[in-house]
Amino acid sequence: MSDKIAIATNSVTKIYKTGKVEFRALNNVSLKIKEGDFIALMGPSGSGKTTLMNLLGCLDRATSGEILLDGQNLSILNDNQLAEIRGKKIGFVFQTFNLVQTMSALKNVELPMVFGEFSRSSREKTALDMLKKFGLENWAGNLPSELSGGQQQRVAVARALANNPSIILADEPTGNLDSASGLQIMNYLASINKEGRTIVLVTHDNSLKKYANRIITMKDGEISEHR
Amino acid sequence: MIADIFLMSLDALRSHKIRTFLTLLGVIIGIGSVIIVTTAGSSVRIFIEEQWNIFNPTGMVIGIGTASDPPQISFRDMGFTDHDIDELKKLPYVKEVAPIGLLPLKAIKLREGFLKWQSKAGGTMYATTPALLDIMGMELEEGRMFQNKKSEIVMSKSMTQLFGKDKELKVGDTLYIQRLDGKLIKTTLVGILKESESSNVMSQVTSLSMAGPVDPYYTSYFGSNVGGILKRVTAYGILYASATDKEHVDDAKNNIINYLNTSSDAINYKDKNSDFVVITQQYIISKVDQIMSVMSMLITSIALVSLVVGGIGIANIMFATVTERTREIGTMMAIGAKRREIMSLFLYQSAMIGLFGGILGVILGASGGAFIIQVLNQYASEFGGAFTAGDIPLVYSTQWFFVAVFFGIMIGIVAGVMPARKAAKMDPVVALRYS
Repeated sequence: MSDKIAIATNSVTKIYKTGKVEFRALNNVSLKIKEGDFIALMGPSGSGKTTLMNLLGCLDRATSGEILLDGQNLSILNDNQLAEIRGKKIGFVFQTFNLVQTMSALKNVELPMVFGEFSRSSREKTALDMLKKFGLENWAGNLPSELSGGQQQRVAVARALANNPSIILADEPTGNLDSASGLQIMNYLASINKEGRTIVLVTHDNSLKKYANRIITMKDGEISEHR
Repeated sequence: MIADIFLMSLDALRSHKIRTFLTLLGVIIGIGSVIIVTTAGSSVRIFIEEQWNIFNPTGMVIGIGTASDPPQISFRDMGFTDHDIDELKKLPYVKEVAPIGLLPLKAIKLREGFLKWQSKAGGTMYATTPALLDIMGMELEEGRMFQNKKSEIVMSKSMTQLFGKDKELKVGDTLYIQRLDGKLIKTTLVGILKESESSNVMSQVTSLSMAGPVDPYYTSYFGSNVGGILKRVTAYGILYASATDKEHVDDAKNNIINYLNTSSDAINYKDKNSDFVVITQQYIISKVDQIMSVMSMLITSIALVSLVVGGIGIANIMFATVTERTREIGTMMAIGAKRREIMSLFLYQSAMIGLFGGILGVILGASGGAFIIQVLNQYASEFGGAFTAGDIPLVYSTQWFFVAVFFGIMIGIVAGVMPARKAAKMDPVVALRYS
């Protein structure tokens, strides 16, 4: 783990407005995530952890405060620039896998590289290598519906790594898996972390704390505990 | 990148085959009907033009009837005399004039020693002059044209098989022509007409009938009291004429009408309430064009309506697809897709529906057009009887094929713009939460 800051937030506030009703999802959140950190972001539902993850993942904009990713201030970037950062620097793993159902496992892993404008041959090779890494080389041509939940999440992890991002954001990645598959995914995430990638894991599951080197607990849109 | 997004759109279409097909149907039917209309239109137009081309472009029919629009000729009204024909020929811009005396026959007979053949009744012969050959643009295959005042006839090639294929008539054969009044006229076949290469109304009529001189075959006349002596004046209901050239058809027509209305014999013989009518081939073609363009406009507007409906169908299904794929759109945005790439993904998809709809529509329209022409030809041969004039040729307006496919793509794009914009404008956070 280096001392270099991967992501920093300074007094970040996120307010959702529905008509005249305002909901303060995040309130003055400041934190620093170092390169190579494995962060477990915990807290009850509605505590703001997914909102924070969306902001860190350039999917959303803060209402106030600033977020720096590799030193770059995200609040001044336009939609295309944010999309580019998502494509190059961030890999997402979702609770519901979010694979494109009409595409084979291989094509799903290739997808970030399609938007990253990689050449077809290099895309295919990288995607196949990724699938091999997660023991799925024999499933490359299968559609997501032909795979088990564990296999689908492995494809999703492979996809998250396809563009060789420095940060992986995982939102309840084991939430829809049986314990054996969940364990397998967590071991993969741990090994990815060992390669030097920063991992932010959003979870309810206390048993996953052990994988993290830092635990941030949130409550009512604020960081309540930081270990 | 474009190719990749194109393939992804194709995958999306392939994964919903039935839905894609049903959406395509709207476009296919619209484009198909445009192609059917243009195919039927161009085929029938060419057919009609061919029909009247034999009666050469300077040709016209002179008759008695009603000079309305369209003019009507009553075939029963007699009035024209040989004197009128001679005078008409002298008019400026008039090249040839020939009478058409329709002569229904009771039978045609052939004798060879003790052997006798007799045709069935019902044939019609033209009593005319040799000038008819030139006016109708016909040629002889064998022999020569009949001469006036001789018992000579010419007939078409197919007519020579009147008594069967094994008893084909030859130039020089002697026949007995029996008129409706029973009179038997000994006749020599002197010429055989060349079958026109393009089958048409005139060639068909001539192939079913024979032509010979007015004298001795024709019998319609007026009694005319000249100097106290009753004289028979041969009378015709119809004349065929030609102008000197295409540019002066109307001049010839005006001169003819003018003569007929002022100093002709016919003005005295015809019924006071009837008019002289001259129908030129140019008039017929312009009428045909008028009818065809009205028909085309009518059916094309129906086709356009169905294309708009097809477009609405595409827009509808694209909106449904965008909604259905909301979470997928969110995922793609999360892994780096830019808004314009999401927009392209859906636009390509709807453009492809338009493209495939266009191509399949052209195929459907081309086969539908061929089918309709075939049906028309079958009906014509079943109901047209003696007046069927060969087949309507199948003529495709190929430029419409390209217009139709282009139009299909445009409909796809236009219909897809709003759904694609909806997809591209999605908030990734909201899209990812969608279930």
